[in-house]
Amino acid sequence: MLVSWRYRKRDSLLQSFDPRAWIIFFSCFLASTLFFWDFRYLLFFLTIALVSILTSGIKWKEMARAWIFIIGFILFFSFLTFLTGRGGMELYTTEHTLAKLAASFKIFGWTPTLHITAERTMFALSMLVRVFSIASMTILIPYSLNPAHYGITFRGLGLPDKIAYGMDLTMRFIPTFGRDFSLTMDAQKARGYEIEKLSGGLFAQVRKLAPLIVPVTIHAIAGSEDIIDAMDLRAFGVGPRTWLEKLTYRKRDRVLIVVGVVILLLSIALSLLGYGKFWVPGFMLG
Amino acid sequence: MTTPAPLVIENLNFRYHSRETLAIKNISLSVEAGQVLLIAGASGCGKTTLARCINGLIPRSYKGELSGKILLNDKEVKDLSLAQVSQIVGTVLQDPERQILGTKVANEVAFGLENLTLPREEIRERVAEALEHLKIAHLMYRDTFNLSGGEKQKVALAGVLAMRPSILLLDEPLASLDPASAQDALAIIRSLADEGMTVLMVEHRVEDVLRIHPENAIFMMDGEIRYYGPTSGFDKTVDYHEVKLPAGMIMERARDDPAPERLTTLRQDSMVGMGKTPGEPLVKFENVSFWYEPDRLVLHDINLTINRGDVIAVLGPNGAGKTTLVKHAIGLLKPKSGSMSVEGKDTKEVSVANIARTLGYVFQSPSHMLFAPTVEEELAFGPQNLKHPADQIKQDVADAIKIVNLAGLEKFPPLALSFGQQKRVSIASVLAMQSKILVMDEPTAGQDYKNYLSFMDAILQLPGFEAILFITHDIDMAVIYANRVLMVNDGTVVCDASPAEALNDFDFLRQNRLIPTSLLKTNLDYLPKTGRFYSAEELAHVVH
Repeated sequence: MLVSWRYRKRDSLLQSFDPRAWIIFFSCFLASTLFFWDFRYLLFFLTIALVSILTSGIKWKEMARAWIFIIGFILFFSFLTFLTGRGGMELYTTEHTLAKLAASFKIFGWTPTLHITAERTMFALSMLVRVFSIASMTILIPYSLNPAHYGITFRGLGLPDKIAYGMDLTMRFIPTFGRDFSLTMDAQKARGYEIEKLSGGLFAQVRKLAPLIVPVTIHAIAGSEDIIDAMDLRAFGVGPRTWLEKLTYRKRDRVLIVVGVVILLLSIALSLLGYGKFWVPGFMLG
Repeated sequence: MTTPAPLVIENLNFRYHSRETLAIKNISLSVEAGQVLLIAGASGCGKTTLARCINGLIPRSYKGELSGKILLNDKEVKDLSLAQVSQIVGTVLQDPERQILGTKVANEVAFGLENLTLPREEIRERVAEALEHLKIAHLMYRDTFNLSGGEKQKVALAGVLAMRPSILLLDEPLASLDPASAQDALAIIRSLADEGMTVLMVEHRVEDVLRIHPENAIFMMDGEIRYYGPTSGFDKTVDYHEVKLPAGMIMERARDDPAPERLTTLRQDSMVGMGKTPGEPLVKFENVSFWYEPDRLVLHDINLTINRGDVIAVLGPNGAGKTTLVKHAIGLLKPKSGSMSVEGKDTKEVSVANIARTLGYVFQSPSHMLFAPTVEEELAFGPQNLKHPADQIKQDVADAIKIVNLAGLEKFPPLALSFGQQKRVSIASVLAMQSKILVMDEPTAGQDYKNYLSFMDAILQLPGFEAILFITHDIDMAVIYANRVLMVNDGTVVCDASPAEALNDFDFLRQNRLIPTSLLKTNLDYLPKTGRFYSAEELAHVVH
């Protein structure tokens, strides 16, 4: 299945909060993390993320695929950053070489050389921690928020009925979309289509994806006509909606929101004062 | 003073803005409370347009010219808001998958009531009441996505009933159901009518609907009413080619017509596997088992050989493993234990593309595969993937177009064609690959009676196939077309025999969620005389 994550009711810290409170906290967390490049500050956010994961009550087996994908992705890009120093140039101007590894061979007169510098190393590490914290907090959400509550959650956060219900509809139709996609994939495979053998430039590759993309898109459009009819026929949008579920803030939810907002304000203040910029420990520079 | 009928229509005409001609003409009818009105007709006859006029989607969502009057409880539809109409007319659309909007059953049933801004407590009461009424209270907290087709249909119905309409409008409610679920749904509909609901049912599976004795019936053709009156007179007027009538009625009418062409062409000698030694094994399942989770087997120790000359109907309830079984044949799924071969090649060792050279698989819905800008390019896609030489592809595509009768449409975009034509494009795209074995999943789903008969007739007369296998819910398809029946239940083949042997034990059929049809019963009655199964039309000529 394309969509393999599943919400279940779990006895966890995260699920003990009102979903609105968690979304607010999560947004504050996300915004705050982006202010910092300092490895030491980022460890604070990593700790929050780790606590959330470890108390989430989600079994390794359930999330394994998502984790493997994310970790693989992050490691790959951090390593790439480490090798090339790509992206870090805006944060540091001088580099202190820790080691220089030169290959023992030449390619067309060029000796592949790896410069390991203090800055590149720390930049890669900081990036790793930063992206990992954000990614892991994000993937917890689909496992922990009841899909039937997305609409009321966003309604509760002040979005209009129609947009909030759109969230519910999205959750409802993601699995349908996933199934349409795998059906199309199977149907084209049965006509000898082999997605593994895509070749050519980017444009050519996208063109060769047409047998998958076109049917799935057309299906979604055709289906949406029925969906709109079904909504009209049951009086959607004629007036303010009652939402079957009711969410109530309790004390702990208010505390969580306050904590989130305080973290955000502190982060803003610190970064305005010039704290939390890219940092390289002194011993590496010596 | 008598109360007015809940639904009265007077001289209704409608033309869509995008079309030149009227979609419906001069429709007048009235339906009393507690009655079922059957609206039958082939696709394109205007029945869906009529339904949209009654539930108010026309002219609100679909624009066009409307004249005439529709009265709901003596009030004109055009003077009511869609919210008001929705509380008088409850509509269940054809595909429950597309009209269920909630992630959980309770949310789905509550949807309309939420929109009407009812108090939360009242919504909860009404949701519970509607689920109770349809005896599906146990589904309340389930995910809608994982429900079976029959359950989805009932949940969609509950969502409409919760709004307490006095008129129920059902658009082909049986289309996606297996026979036992369809019978279930029909019984519910009858009991709702008996409780005082006015029911309008658009359906071309007339034979099934007649079992619940609708009081009145309408037969539509070309946007007009051709018959309107008590159901008892229905069979005399309607064209038995257009809608599916009980076998007895068809035989009576067909006797006076010339013998169907099928009798002389198709029955003489099946084209399937012609010109080669019959009985040679093409596809072999050896102790095949399959599972997603080891403790829940989807297929259990399947042993099966498909031979040259076989025309196999695969029957069985939803979720029995039919699709899983045929997906093994083309290698989309590989056995977890046991082995599987196509023309001697183990499916674990060759790619799907490789198997596609011998085995063509046509999926249920053509819209899941059509993508090319023209029919021609669509048909060339498969052979190109298989690296056939260009001039051969050109020839094969041209042949395939001729065979499925799509000549003249070569340059048309397949996505702009009608459903029946799309279905033929999907078959042709497999034909152009020069496959020897044709596998079809629900080939007749979504097509009306007339179209699906001519479609199946055409396929069986195609030269070039050595074996055909199709999955179906429709016992009559097995009766008319198959020479071998596989019944699948619970991941095993529970029966593998000729149609006459496989289908003669009605208790056994019911265990497999199949309902004996009038055609099957009639065929079994005449079997000593005929020696084989025929369509009702053919029987009329064979037994007299």
